[in-house]
Amino acid sequence: MVSIAIPSAISSSSSDVAGFIAERRKISFDLLQESNVLGFTAKGAFQKLDDVFKECASEGWDGGRAKAISTEVLQCAERFLKSFPWGIQAPDVGAEPDGAVTLEWYRSPDKVVSVSIDPDGWVYYAAFLGTSKRHGSDYSLMGVSDDLLRIILKVTGNNR
Amino acid sequence: MMTDAVSPDELLARYIVYAKWIRNSDQTIRPDAFIPPDSDLSVTRHLQLNEETLWKIGKAITDGMHPKRSLYGRADVKTLCVIDQHLEVVPDPVEPDNPDHPHYNPNHANITNWPLEKNAKKMCALEIAKAASFVENLNS
Repeated sequence: MVSIAIPSAISSSSSDVAGFIAERRKISFDLLQESNVLGFTAKGAFQKLDDVFKECASEGWDGGRAKAISTEVLQCAERFLKSFPWGIQAPDVGAEPDGAVTLEWYRSPDKVVSVSIDPDGWVYYAAFLGTSKRHGSDYSLMGVSDDLLRIILKVTGNNR
Repeated sequence: MMTDAVSPDELLARYIVYAKWIRNSDQTIRPDAFIPPDSDLSVTRHLQLNEETLWKIGKAITDGMHPKRSLYGRADVKTLCVIDQHLEVVPDPVEPDNPDHPHYNPNHANITNWPLEKNAKKMCALEIAKAASFVENLNS
């Protein structure tokens, strides 16, 4: 359970109040992320992202001409993951030779969605949803779109 | 000749040197393995190669990496599955006249003609990965 403590005396300065609220908001967000039921942090997604970055931070990590995963891609991926609503199954994290980080939700060979976060900040996805197939793109700074979220939920079987 | 056109029935191998390209749950291949770094994706034609030689070529790849990595296995896929995605497989032998060269691979080929849009590339990779079989390197 998350509780937010309100100080007994709030400063008359509105910037102090705004700062206090922002700080508490961040603490609450971090606590929710650490919830095993709700957040990607407890489910290991951010740790997996760090692991991928460490493993693929230099060129040729695939034994060929793979591009390095950059800190910019890592930051875009972190921001994108933080935009998800609570309670979503955590993805598997990986990397592509063109320098993109990938997030995959997989149930079976016919129910899978793969999302790439590219160095330019774009999100590209392709999915098998049983009898139908979908692919498209979004901008990572905008966070996860409703359309992509619906696709992920169809794959994972979550009903939110 | 290893520069002969690639037959739709031929098997192609994509060496797996990154563990996260294999799904632990069912040992299937993730599409990430089939995304090209640029315009081409490297593969090796099985044509006339026995298992020992196929693994030798893969091992030469990991031996040349710094830091050295494991060769987890290979993803084998029929050329037909690649052509079905409107892609082409073009022979590109590496050092065919120098068997002592560390990257000697007369059966090397490139998968080319990828769509420009990344999401379309991902769909091709998803289809190829679904058709591919993982062959584990038992000597890794």
